[in-house]
Amino acid sequence: MSVKYVPVQWNKNKWYYNFFMVAGVAGFLFLFLYVSPQLLSHEKSINPQVHNARAFGACAFLMLSIILCIGPLARLDKRFLPLLYNRRHFGVMTAFVALTHFGYILDWYFAFSKSSKYETLIFSNTSYGQIVGFPFEAFGLIALVSLLILATTSHDFWLKFLTAPVWKRIHYLIYVAYISVAAHISLGILQDQQNHAFTAIFLVAALTVISLHVIAFLHERKSGDPKAQSDTDGWVRVCEASEIPEARAKIAVLPNGDRVAVFRMDNKLSAISNACAHQNGPLGEGKILRCLVTCPWHGFQYDVRSGRSPAPFTEIIPTYKIAVRDNVVLVDPNANPPGTYVEPVEVPA
Amino acid sequence: MKKDTTPFFVGYLKPAKKLRSFLLAVGVGLALLLTTFGIVIGGTQDDPGYGSFRFDYGPQTVSGVVEMLPYPILHVTDGNERVPAGETLMLTAGGKTGVAQRAARFDGKKVKATGVVLERGALNMLQLRGGKRGLDAIDGEEATAPTPEPLGKWKLAGEICDGKCLAGAMRPGRGLAHKACAALCLIGDIPAVFVSTKPVEGADFLMVLGKDGEALPKAAYDYIAQYISVEGDITRHGNLLVFTIDPGTIEVLE
Ligand code: FES
Repeated sequence: MSVKYVPVQWNKNKWYYNFFMVAGVAGFLFLFLYVSPQLLSHEKSINPQVHNARAFGACAFLMLSIILCIGPLARLDKRFLPLLYNRRHFGVMTAFVALTHFGYILDWYFAFSKSSKYETLIFSNTSYGQIVGFPFEAFGLIALVSLLILATTSHDFWLKFLTAPVWKRIHYLIYVAYISVAAHISLGILQDQQNHAFTAIFLVAALTVISLHVIAFLHERKSGDPKAQSDTDGWVRVCEASEIPEARAKIAVLPNGDRVAVFRMDNKLSAISNACAHQNGPLGEGKILRCLVTCPWHGFQYDVRSGRSPAPFTEIIPTYKIAVRDNVVLVDPNANPPGTYVEPVEVPA
Repeated sequence: MKKDTTPFFVGYLKPAKKLRSFLLAVGVGLALLLTTFGIVIGGTQDDPGYGSFRFDYGPQTVSGVVEMLPYPILHVTDGNERVPAGETLMLTAGGKTGVAQRAARFDGKKVKATGVVLERGALNMLQLRGGKRGLDAIDGEEATAPTPEPLGKWKLAGEICDGKCLAGAMRPGRGLAHKACAALCLIGDIPAVFVSTKPVEGADFLMVLGKDGEALPKAAYDYIAQYISVEGDITRHGNLLVFTIDPGTIEVLE
């Protein structure tokens, strides 16, 4: 959460995160670029431009695969949540690696002619009507543009400027990017090699991404948030008060589809919207730290009674009227305007 | 009240001890996995073929007779150690441009040609220097191109690509990933070449032309870099085989 925008708000965890990320990428590129040529017993070596392009292209694909695994993994096992925390740095780095791949290809295969290399990219191969021999570069271009849009809008400034729902929708472009990359690879290099080691790695990576998404989806359907049951006067039942641990919450889906999170702080209950004002993170999976509800995704904080971020921050989220009857927690499903104070309800320890 | 044991992490706080070792393992594991992929993928690249620019020979100057096919070729009459007499060279300029226009006025004439050799087995090409220093007539000397020798009708399986990248200007210089580049070279008038899967009269590479002896027809462009079979006539020009194809007979092979 920020009042003023700085390029990156660094902290120790981000440094650790980036250290492992850069170590992996640097390790990949170093071995690919400088060690692997010595292992290849080719009479004449592959042109460095092509070798480099392949290294950066394969690296970008694997990075993208890892990025796409993080979301479902974190949904399946909360211990992976920290990987989500700094994912945008990973994304920005992927965009740069992909851009480098593009640069090598453009300056090699599409250069040295009388026309500009950007023009030749469009007109050299126009066999759009066929699968084998299709200008697979087009898919690479779609992926690259998507990644660049994602990278440039990754900063919180854009999130605030575009509003969280719009931003989130734009960021589904990551799937467009991945599908395009998969098509780019399948119609390009996979059609054109004798050694199928990369084909195997490509398939395993893509299948891992797909199956993790399916498993996380099924898991969420099975063990997703419970529906609030209707009660008298239009109120709904969320859970039993004793089910809510201290400093934690229970989430329930309201009749209109929104989610409410009921927190316990010092044995008093408060109900707030489950959606964080930052990126819709699940506040109900967060924890109260020093009297403030803390979002599990990026740590934005709110006063549980008013849904307001502590000064100088200005984020506000809706609150709900709450009551407890016979140990059953009830809320009024009509949300209060964001930032409305609601007196917490005392419950037994 | 229920007790809560699930770990909680926020980016700006130190993670709990148990979570820390888990994250460390994941971080190290991912970094190692990526590194391993680097060497596995990098170490399993296909051989790009043995063609190459022979800059190591230095610029070569030979004389011979130009024949326009319409791609220009040079029948070497006075060669040297590197490029002996009797050799037939395809001619090209620097980059992805041919020299058909420059060479046309020397058709059937004796010339002096200087440039860098590109070599891939029996496939030879000369990348001419610019202007007259690259190609100029030798006045007063007569010479004739060898009479073409027809070798009959053939059906060949293989791939159409550009002669320059194949000869070694690019490694790899053929294949589907190289298709756009091959097309760009052919648009730029670089001689088209057919790489045959089975040698024809000892040659794996043949210059490829349209049915009426014109430069590669546009109808064949969609099939560049693909594994195809095609029918046509083969003629020997010097020691270069020329395959005039009928694009209508192209079949895509698996
Ligand atoms: S802090 Fe980012 S979603 Fe809550």
